[in-house]
Amino acid sequence: MILASLISYPQAIVLGLLQGFSELFPISSLGHSVILPKLLGWNIHQNDPYFLTFLVATHLATAIVLLGFFWRDWVRILKGLGRSLRDRGIAPDDADAKLGWLLVVGTIPAGILGLTLEHSLRKIFASPTSAAIFLMCNGVLLYAAELLRRRAPQVEEDDDARIARQMSWGGAFGVGAAQALALIPGFSRSGATMGGSLLMGLSNKDAARFAFLLATPVIGAAALLKLPELFGHQGDGVRGQALVAALCAAATAWLAVRFLMRFFETNTLTPFAVYCLLAGAACTVYFLS
Amino acid sequence: MRNDRLLALVAVLAGLVLIVIAIVYWAEPAKSLPGFFPGHQAGSAHHHVKHGIAAFLVGLACLVFAWFRTGPSRTTTRA
Repeated sequence: MILASLISYPQAIVLGLLQGFSELFPISSLGHSVILPKLLGWNIHQNDPYFLTFLVATHLATAIVLLGFFWRDWVRILKGLGRSLRDRGIAPDDADAKLGWLLVVGTIPAGILGLTLEHSLRKIFASPTSAAIFLMCNGVLLYAAELLRRRAPQVEEDDDARIARQMSWGGAFGVGAAQALALIPGFSRSGATMGGSLLMGLSNKDAARFAFLLATPVIGAAALLKLPELFGHQGDGVRGQALVAALCAAATAWLAVRFLMRFFETNTLTPFAVYCLLAGAACTVYFLS
Repeated sequence: MRNDRLLALVAVLAGLVLIVIAIVYWAEPAKSLPGFFPGHQAGSAHHHVKHGIAAFLVGLACLVFAWFRTGPSRTTTRA
């Protein structure tokens, strides 16, 4: 196999731009990275080791952007965690500490399920057709979350105080576990967490904020865990393309998170549900025909 | 109160056991793992690093839980 032909630079740019926004939009980045190469007739497959290595760079870029965007929040949250460990308890009015531990509780199931199920689920659901079908299911899930959402009174002015008051420990665990759905191409990580958060009574804006905060350690840790592969022999022939894609992913991820934090102040998940249903249905028909 | 202490003790024990399990996963190849460990595979030299990380994280969570559980009861708000 000629290494230079694994992924071209134009392909890397397209995949990087796509990854950056689709990781944060509730429309499944993994599903799109499976479907798009097939639609464009590219000889790239989701389970190819070099492609997985390539994706590590784009995921790391997305995680760094999220960390940068919420940098001040993370500093407050980490201080809150430190305070609660020092005091061996969470003060009732310490929203930063409560939010920090909610994120820890949500990250544990996501991390464990990701570590243990990722390889097998990726192997089973690798085809573009199954990704298109699951994209439709993602649309149904998003729409159902909007229909079944619990509309709780939003009293506190501070975002984190609202999330800390509304989200229960069990809810955070459930929302974290729901992220495992994203291991199946077609289901969205941010869609699962936002949908779960809506069911727990958060507003769309707070659900998006909680989803992005929850995504940062999971995406970052998964990318860091696989980073050695990018610098090892599996990265031969894709390292330059991965760097270009990472820069593109960082740019679109930054735009996406800025857009979505404003979008969800007044809007719902419904437009994304409609997109997933239509795009999933169209791709399914196309792939089966 | 006794139940609280018992729960904390169980959490500490579970945490320590899980951290030991994590070290075993990191140190031993799949063929050398005890037969009842998930991931045991005769003849395989593969190290289950991810299994180890998962066990370590859960172990750490158990220890943190015990740390909070044995802390002073909280009735005041933060200054």
